[in-house]
Amino acid sequence: MKYDAVIIGGGLSGLVAGITLQKAGKSTAIISTGQNALYFFSGTFESLQEDRRIQELFTEAGVRVHYTPGVRLTPMGSFRESALSLEDIDLFPSAKIGRKALIVNFLGYHDFFSSFLAEGLEKQGLQCRVRFLNLPELERLEQSPSEMRSVQIARVVDPIWEKVVQEVRLLLKDEDTVVLPQVFGLQDGAVPDRIRQGIPARVVFAGTLPPSVPGVRTQMLLKKRYQLLGGVYLMGDEVVRAHVHEGVVHSVATRNLDNHYVEASAFILSTGSYFSKGLVANPFQVYEPVFGLDVDYRENRNEWYNPAFAEDQPYMHFGVKTDGQLRALKDGQPLENLYVAGSVLGDTHPELGTAAGLAVRSALAVADRIMEL
Amino acid sequence: MKPNEFDVIIIGGGITGAGMQRDCAMRGLRTLLIERSDIATGATGRNHGLLHSGARYAVNDAESAEECIRENRILRRIAAHCIDETDGLFITLPEDDLAYQQTFVDACRRADINAEIIDPDLARRLEPSVNPELIGAVRVPDGSVDPFRLCAANMLDAKLRGGQVRLQTEVTGFIKEGDTVKGVHTHNHLTGEDVDYLAPVTVNACGIWGQHIAEMAGAKINMFPAKGALLIFAHRVNNLVINRCRKPSNADILVPGDTVCIIGTTSTRIPFEECDNVAVTPDEVDLLITEGAKLAPSLSETRILRAYAGVRPLVSADDDPSGRNISRGIVCLDHEERDGIKGFVTITGGKLMTYRLMAEIATDLVCKKLKVDKACQTADVPLPGSEEKSYEAVAKKIWETPTTAQKAAAARMGTRAARIRTGNKRDDALICECEEVSVGEINAAIDRLEVSTLTDLRRRTRVGMGTCQGEFCACRAAGLLAKAHGCVERERKDLDDFLQERWKGNFPIGWGDTLREAEYTQWVYKHVLGL
Amino acid sequence: MKLQEHTKSRHNFEECMKCTVCTAFCPVLQANPLYPGPKQAGPDGERLRLKDPYFFNQALKYCLNCKRCEVACPSGVAVADLIQAARIKYDHTPPKLRDQLLASTDMMGSLARPFAPLVSFATGLGITKSMMDAMLKIDHRRNFPKYSGRSFESWLKRRKKEQAAFPEQVAYYHGCYVNYNYPQLGKDLVKVLNALGIGVQMLEKEKCCGIALITNGMSAKATRNASHNVAQLRQAVLERGLKVVTTSSTCTLTLRDEYPNLLGVDNADVRESVLLATRLICEKLEKGATLQFKADYHKKIAYHTPCHLERLGWGVFSERLLQMIPGVEFTLLDSACCGISGTYGFKKENYDTSQAIGEALFSQIRSVNPDVVACDCETCKWQIEMSTGYTVMNPISILAEAIV
Repeated sequence: MKYDAVIIGGGLSGLVAGITLQKAGKSTAIISTGQNALYFFSGTFESLQEDRRIQELFTEAGVRVHYTPGVRLTPMGSFRESALSLEDIDLFPSAKIGRKALIVNFLGYHDFFSSFLAEGLEKQGLQCRVRFLNLPELERLEQSPSEMRSVQIARVVDPIWEKVVQEVRLLLKDEDTVVLPQVFGLQDGAVPDRIRQGIPARVVFAGTLPPSVPGVRTQMLLKKRYQLLGGVYLMGDEVVRAHVHEGVVHSVATRNLDNHYVEASAFILSTGSYFSKGLVANPFQVYEPVFGLDVDYRENRNEWYNPAFAEDQPYMHFGVKTDGQLRALKDGQPLENLYVAGSVLGDTHPELGTAAGLAVRSALAVADRIMEL
Repeated sequence: MKPNEFDVIIIGGGITGAGMQRDCAMRGLRTLLIERSDIATGATGRNHGLLHSGARYAVNDAESAEECIRENRILRRIAAHCIDETDGLFITLPEDDLAYQQTFVDACRRADINAEIIDPDLARRLEPSVNPELIGAVRVPDGSVDPFRLCAANMLDAKLRGGQVRLQTEVTGFIKEGDTVKGVHTHNHLTGEDVDYLAPVTVNACGIWGQHIAEMAGAKINMFPAKGALLIFAHRVNNLVINRCRKPSNADILVPGDTVCIIGTTSTRIPFEECDNVAVTPDEVDLLITEGAKLAPSLSETRILRAYAGVRPLVSADDDPSGRNISRGIVCLDHEERDGIKGFVTITGGKLMTYRLMAEIATDLVCKKLKVDKACQTADVPLPGSEEKSYEAVAKKIWETPTTAQKAAAARMGTRAARIRTGNKRDDALICECEEVSVGEINAAIDRLEVSTLTDLRRRTRVGMGTCQGEFCACRAAGLLAKAHGCVERERKDLDDFLQERWKGNFPIGWGDTLREAEYTQWVYKHVLGL
Repeated sequence: MKLQEHTKSRHNFEECMKCTVCTAFCPVLQANPLYPGPKQAGPDGERLRLKDPYFFNQALKYCLNCKRCEVACPSGVAVADLIQAARIKYDHTPPKLRDQLLASTDMMGSLARPFAPLVSFATGLGITKSMMDAMLKIDHRRNFPKYSGRSFESWLKRRKKEQAAFPEQVAYYHGCYVNYNYPQLGKDLVKVLNALGIGVQMLEKEKCCGIALITNGMSAKATRNASHNVAQLRQAVLERGLKVVTTSSTCTLTLRDEYPNLLGVDNADVRESVLLATRLICEKLEKGATLQFKADYHKKIAYHTPCHLERLGWGVFSERLLQMIPGVEFTLLDSACCGISGTYGFKKENYDTSQAIGEALFSQIRSVNPDVVACDCETCKWQIEMSTGYTVMNPISILAEAIV
């Protein structure tokens, strides 16, 4: 198989690069080891500013985003600054988001933190009431001790969103704000909006433990868009070898395709950080496993960590070294046609939430480079 | 008698204190147990969890060996649900002296320990993870014991017999009249309250911290703080305890315990100030892995879950810098005789294995002082939960076809599992998926087992002890605790502390899958949940 | 010493990050609350089972073995392998008569073949179906695959000389379905390969790949079949120098991956020579070979990637071939399980789960409304045809129909 570009890693950065290249008429394939960090996506691209190109790219894929600099309500009841977000996420000018809030959870659902939300909102001067919905439709899920999870709930409640609206309306007294778990709109991103319209109060969706329903939907929509543009998404496969000659990557071999090499004129490495094994740490070093690229990290293992969990962790800044054009360095020299995007670049600050912004911006940058070729 | 007056006050919620409270309560005494943090937070919860057969001490310390095998047999009887009767191997590797094997077996037999030389081939079959290069093997009745469960069961039994427990309560001073200890001043860290308690006898069962407590009472004990570091591997690699058949040394015991296995230990002398905050160094980690892989080579490729260290409460006898040759014998000090301080007793030394004997010795002394004439029964009466021999039998009795979580609960709680509310979907929902801990089991622990923090809950139920180290279950359980205690703000801080406590054990071995998991946990808590 | 350079475990269960992605993709979880789910049944359960086999849970039998958890897992954990391996290792309950019958696809085939019209007629009868339902717990709503009167093997045997004349040769592992139920697929393959100048040989004596034996708790017999088949593959690959092609995605996955991973039968020396025919053909065409297509061919095709092909990662080859055919209007259906998973859906206790799982796929097919659904799996074919009424064809048969 031969393509203009092969993208290793099918997360946010891989998909954004793939869509951009396909749109520009390039043929591409994405090789992805299973699903990716979009499954744990908070729904906000915290470090992104207003950018028509990015918003267009998402809108064309059916991913509805909005740019409203402000604060969002976190699942634990605190507030975080955000700007570009999925439409599921409400952004407010300040943390005083209302007067009285009704927080509604499903009975038996432990991944939505209603009491923490109430306490957090009360700190902002809201009066809060927590109530539970007992939907008979969810009983089947509850029969399993472990499967009251966001995605499973979404599958059940999406088709009966009108009933949820009715039940919430019955609970609603004089509250001006209703907080619901982010378990709506798995397939159809319009469901959260319909719920907003159906309830005579400001409806806020607060996040849950993973999987993130808006994140899963975003992943599905981006993947679908990529495939409709003619991109080839090889899911559940993994690059095991690369054929590099004189600073040029010629092809890669994958676990599934064994001796069938995938060739391309350009390659993008968007394999993510440690979680996705884009970076691998052992007691002696941090390395990049596909090409053995140069990694910026500290030699002394003791310096990888901050003993305080809450503090910035040095290991999260480690990443593949690149030149000014985001081309990967190996033994100090750039590989001519290997570009790097996303969190394998390192320097992600989870507390600032820059990972999603970094993924999108670096992906666009490398796609631009490849289109210039 | 007033509510703050007791027959005996026991300071220290380790296994010695808890065991002592049980013994005193069984002899009809009104008891109070005071612990500055939670049960089993000192050396009790920071060792291998090895149910010694005594074999390890047979050559050098016959007295300890004999104590161990006697207590080993007793614990199998009274603490079935805390014990895994695995048996153990003492292996000789090519680099070891095979001649030592005979010395070892002879010493075991003298101590009444059933040590049987077996063919290396049989050893490889019995324990497929064992280093296949072994040239000799001896089978001994080692096992493993869950110190948290054992400690909780002793405390629970004391409570069921009228004993009172004050956790998160620190002794700030002694109430003395002349040379007589009349009671203690305390400060509760949770409520901020200062309360005085009175009793004719106060017992110091504070392990390494006992030196400080004794000092407060006006007595001087020379303790010898020796740090021991250990590693927990993420699953059970071995099913038999594996020891090296040689003079005891570093990292030569691998113990299977519940869903994990533990290699240890090292031994380093540390200054007293460090006892409250012992850290595991990279050198110790490397040593443990290198030596551990000699017992079971697969350890070099097995995910490590945590690193931790404990401080041995040894009473100093000489200046041996390694601390390993110091007698682990039991030290029971009657301060009236020793220092002229009346109403004050210290029980220290010893080890997890001999806690019951230590409790018996100290309780005998307390009873003598109180002129109570009652015999010790702790060797005969099973602990609450241990009335059945196997968890299989327990589960079968309670549930016709137990679910995985019910089986796991039976293994953790023994017959007390019958008290878990179960059989309905709300109580059966899992909070901790790695260890299969249900809402019902957590609520049962909160109800009966003195839980104030997530870390306490972990010690009672194994919540957060599994592979993910609290990634999902910590905040779920925090929701339950917030509800039980009616305070979200406190729970928020508790959650921070819990994550910090987990990270403390993760970062010293932060590579491979452990680091991947830590990174994911950072994402979930900082980015997704916005903690 | 380079200790802890890599960490691994059998079926790499320790690489599980507990991220729960697998649970979002498990088709069974969406339909059957009795199933503990891939995370609990797989890596979580494995830790407990290593502590004590007592923790083995019989509900693992509800796993379809569709392997979608493995495809979705960001950590590359062999979740379904863990579950199936646990069943093999710990479940010692003897399989029911019904399961034995369903699993013995080759025995059933060879017994039924001489009386094919009669058997096909009988299994199609309402009364037979009710009896099978009542006595064997094989759901009466299922349509049974028809049996063919003449086996594919006997058809190909008579063309041995003619096939030997082609300049290039491959061996064909046809599987039970082509041999006993639907020889036409085999004939279609021969037509396409011949058009590429490739002659088709048989293995000396193939046996059922054994997937149904594995999932129905007959691993000992499956292992015997595996050893036999690997010997056959070696004979073809190493002695005759042939590639071995297949037309069933499930047989392919079994021969390549289930043998070493679940049954411990080593096939490393022949594994890479076992190829689904669509992959072989794609590779030929990439290297310059050509096929002559009919000028007036027109078909609206919706392609369904079978679960096991998804796991093999080779769906791309079948898609490419179909898209290559002039006059084909191609739609790639969303990747979803059809719910049958071999013999799983035939069992009465699984029927409702099976149909519920497939519903997303069925409704998408209805909305696309194709002339034909394309798919590389025979059991998906039965399920989709029964549940939607649309005709399902193997891409090879479509290719055979489209070439001159």
